[in-house]
Amino acid sequence: MHSNNYTLAFVFIITVLLGTILSFTKENLRDLQEYNLKADMKKNILRSLDFEESENEPWSNEVVEKIFNDNIQAFCVDTSGSVVDCIIEEVDTEKNLEVLPVYLKVVDNKTEGIAIPVAGKGLWSTVFGYIALESDTDTVLGIQFYKHGETPGLGGEVDKAWFTNNFIGKKIRDNSGDVIGVEVLKGKVDNSKASAIHQVDGISGATVTSKGVTVFLKDDLGRYENYLNKVRADGNI
Amino acid sequence: MEIFNSESKKIISDPLSINNPISLQVLGICSALAVTIRLDQAIIMTIAVIFVLCSSNVILSALRNFIPSRVRIVVMLSIIASLVTIVDQVLQAYLYDMSKQLSVFVGLIITNCIIMGRAEAFALKHGPSKAFLDGLGNGLGYGMIIIIVSFFRELFGAGTITLPDGGAGYVLFSIPEAWYAAGYENIGLLVLSPGAFFILGLVIWTQRELFGIEEGE
Repeated sequence: MHSNNYTLAFVFIITVLLGTILSFTKENLRDLQEYNLKADMKKNILRSLDFEESENEPWSNEVVEKIFNDNIQAFCVDTSGSVVDCIIEEVDTEKNLEVLPVYLKVVDNKTEGIAIPVAGKGLWSTVFGYIALESDTDTVLGIQFYKHGETPGLGGEVDKAWFTNNFIGKKIRDNSGDVIGVEVLKGKVDNSKASAIHQVDGISGATVTSKGVTVFLKDDLGRYENYLNKVRADGNI
Repeated sequence: MEIFNSESKKIISDPLSINNPISLQVLGICSALAVTIRLDQAIIMTIAVIFVLCSSNVILSALRNFIPSRVRIVVMLSIIASLVTIVDQVLQAYLYDMSKQLSVFVGLIITNCIIMGRAEAFALKHGPSKAFLDGLGNGLGYGMIIIIVSFFRELFGAGTITLPDGGAGYVLFSIPEAWYAAGYENIGLLVLSPGAFFILGLVIWTQRELFGIEEGE
């Protein structure tokens, strides 16, 4: 049996040693990790804005960076729709509901799409994504969910193409022009109804996740309503 | 010390056959269910587990005469947890897409019973080189099973076979569209956790038949 002093000294040395090794590892890898995170965010913005990854040139971090810098204008607006100063990569869209990031797809000086971050509660987790609108600020250009902890095969299907592709071409404004978002139904959309243009098929076995998506799309798009109205009234951005 | 004498060979080959950590000791089941949806995830997970298992076995075996026995579990845990954290950080830096898919399950290697089990049962009682072989054998035994399970789950559940590459995975094979058009359907159940249980059950059955192992022996 070792003495108490020996045990204490041993544990102390081990702890200091392991702590040093871990912080050394983290310090050395931090830059690469943050770069990966940012590239992943940009990749999802590009996907929502209908940029397609080509078969022969998959999106490495450098390619993403280049496409993003060439085609995307990023800035922030406030809830009244005026442009405000911000460091866009550091805006916490979950906590700060006053500063709203906007990503414009500008090709040949023409605005082709507006991507905005959306996030909200599913069943187990917060679901994060980007929804992109065409320049009429009404038609959905694309939607991407990139981070969630929903059940694989059920709520986890939110990030699958069969689900997100259904959003393309749907309208987020009702007849009077108010922003109402897109509703995820329980079951299939009945295309004979006039409301079908605001609805997409639900995910079977994932009622709570589907409802969550409906709610946060409406809330988050609602915060951008003044900005979107401005864009629509001006006809340019 | 002779590394490849018959005893060393037995240390490596037993976990692959008659003493497999998953199918016979029934350890590490929860991660075996979680990371076997796709083959590439299972392969990366195998590499991570082999690294952690070999390193923790060697370190603990080298320290075995210095570790006070009253705090040995705590010391084992902190060394294993540090190794797993390093693996997690490295994946986040160099294989970002893979680390996103594996998410919490890399961190959960800490609680994989195989690692604590081998440390306590083997590494603390044997020298570093034997402990290394034991780690390698058990890591390979674990990997063998999850790779078999994930191969069948991905092939019949999602209709693809994906190998790991630097990014989102390289699709080696996918079931042709014509099959789907002709009425073939993927088995959705296999994508869910119960699917892993069915495949695992079949693997355990096959293995026990092959090696003639009977309950209660």
